Amino acid sequence: MFDSTTFAENKAIVHVNGKIIGNAVTQFRDEIEQQLQDGNNNLIIDLTDVPLLDSTALGVIIITLQVLQRSGGKLVLLNPQKAVSSVLEVTRLTSILEVYESEEAARNAFS
Amino acid sequence: MSETVYVSKVNSSTETILVVDDDTDILALLEMSLISDGFNVITASDGMEGLERAKTDLPDLILLDVMMPYMDGLQVIEKLKSDSDTSTIPIMWITAKSQTEDKLKGLETGGDDYITKPFDLREVSARINAVLGRTRPVKYINPLISAMGEGFSEEGVAELGSHLQAAAEIQMKLLPDKPPVYPGFEFATMFRSSTSVSGDLYDFIPLSETRIGVVLGDVKGHGIPAALLMVMIQTASRLLCNETDSPSTVLKRINTLLFHNTDLEQFATMVYGILELDTGLFTYANGGHCPPIHFISGKDKTDTLNHNRSKVELLETGGMLIGAFDIATFSSDTSQLSPGDVLILYTDGVTETEGVKPNDFYGEDRLIECLSRNLDQSAETLCEVLQSDLLDFSGTTQLKDDRAVVVIKRTEVN
Repeated sequence: MFDSTTFAENKAIVHVNGKIIGNAVTQFRDEIEQQLQDGNNNLIIDLTDVPLLDSTALGVIIITLQVLQRSGGKLVLLNPQKAVSSVLEVTRLTSILEVYESEEAARNAFS
Repeated sequence: MSETVYVSKVNSSTETILVVDDDTDILALLEMSLISDGFNVITASDGMEGLERAKTDLPDLILLDVMMPYMDGLQVIEKLKSDSDTSTIPIMWITAKSQTEDKLKGLETGGDDYITKPFDLREVSARINAVLGRTRPVKYINPLISAMGEGFSEEGVAELGSHLQAAAEIQMKLLPDKPPVYPGFEFATMFRSSTSVSGDLYDFIPLSETRIGVVLGDVKGHGIPAALLMVMIQTASRLLCNETDSPSTVLKRINTLLFHNTDLEQFATMVYGILELDTGLFTYANGGHCPPIHFISGKDKTDTLNHNRSKVELLETGGMLIGAFDIATFSSDTSQLSPGDVLILYTDGVTETEGVKPNDFYGEDRLIECLSRNLDQSAETLCEVLQSDLLDFSGTTQLKDDRAVVVIKRTEVN
């Protein structure tokens, strides 16, 4: 359900495919931790193919955001779909997260 | 001046009993008796229908007659016990006094208890309560077992189950046991948990003679960790809400408290508002929570053509979710409740209720539509209408997420 690519030094994009709910959240967290271990502290999470995420997954995004910020890195979200977008808006995470609609714009956020 | 104050709490702990009998007289008798004992009752008139209802409604207990056409009671028990959806539902069966064989077979197939005909209704009720008392902890623990896979011993499960049940009872006692009563307003609440303990909360905090604090929140995740945090937030809000501080100040304090005392990824969303009972002014701050909906009744006496039109206002002002970011800031806003207006605060367990079709969710639009049609009803009835619409939509009483709802109605005062 994950397909991650390191596209520049310390920079990676994680494509997620499917709902991030229940057990998938643990895998999602593992995948992100792997990226951090690999030294990628600039992360794009591609949400194009994520129809839904639950509050625990939101917790993973929040902790990732904080960990990356502390290490001088950055978290960027790419193309959240309707349901995910509305969760980000209601919780006001949009005020603190960078969200882009195209991969190019997301990559440019790091330069 | 006529003042109607109507309060209620839709009973969240009512247990549902499925009665299966082909004898309509006995069915009606049992139904009446069980309803008066405080149970929800659903009925089926033969084994096949009983099986279907069991699968769709997942009752807390099934009471069935052994002697039935098409499929006899013992076959029904066997099928229920072999289906993982229904295998843990306790089953009691009704048999004629002489049929010792039925009694044995029933027990062998996994039934929990039996009643012999002719029966005394008081005995039926006592036995049902005894069986439910034994099996209740199992029901609470089941969602956890399935989440954790194998590796539980039966004793461990039973023990954990009874702890959980105790925790759930403690938690329910922390919630207001009934909504407040004030002239000119109706309060009603609905609270249901997907497991035994809940991550949702609501509270009413009297601040002065004319002001009452209203809290509604939802802690990330569910189960025990969420419940512990819920208790923490509830305690914090009772300590931190006071007459002089604005809702945004209170949210900021709760945010700081949570941020410093929990893991980074632990968070909650909540709304805190102060209702002024003499003017209907509601001052609130929304911490990343789905916006409460203010239904403006709009009954303009000069506008007789459209006297039922209503508009809604979403209470969105506030700030981010609570407890995850130290830097979070909050602001307060006001909403004016006029006579006839209704305000609903709810958790996303309501709008994220999944429909019969996958990926079809109840949603804010349907919630607005459902309540708009019933604004002339009491707050209590609005809660009931919503609960029944949610049931219609989802087709099941099983919840995937916790649900909390507070409905406040400013009554018409002459």
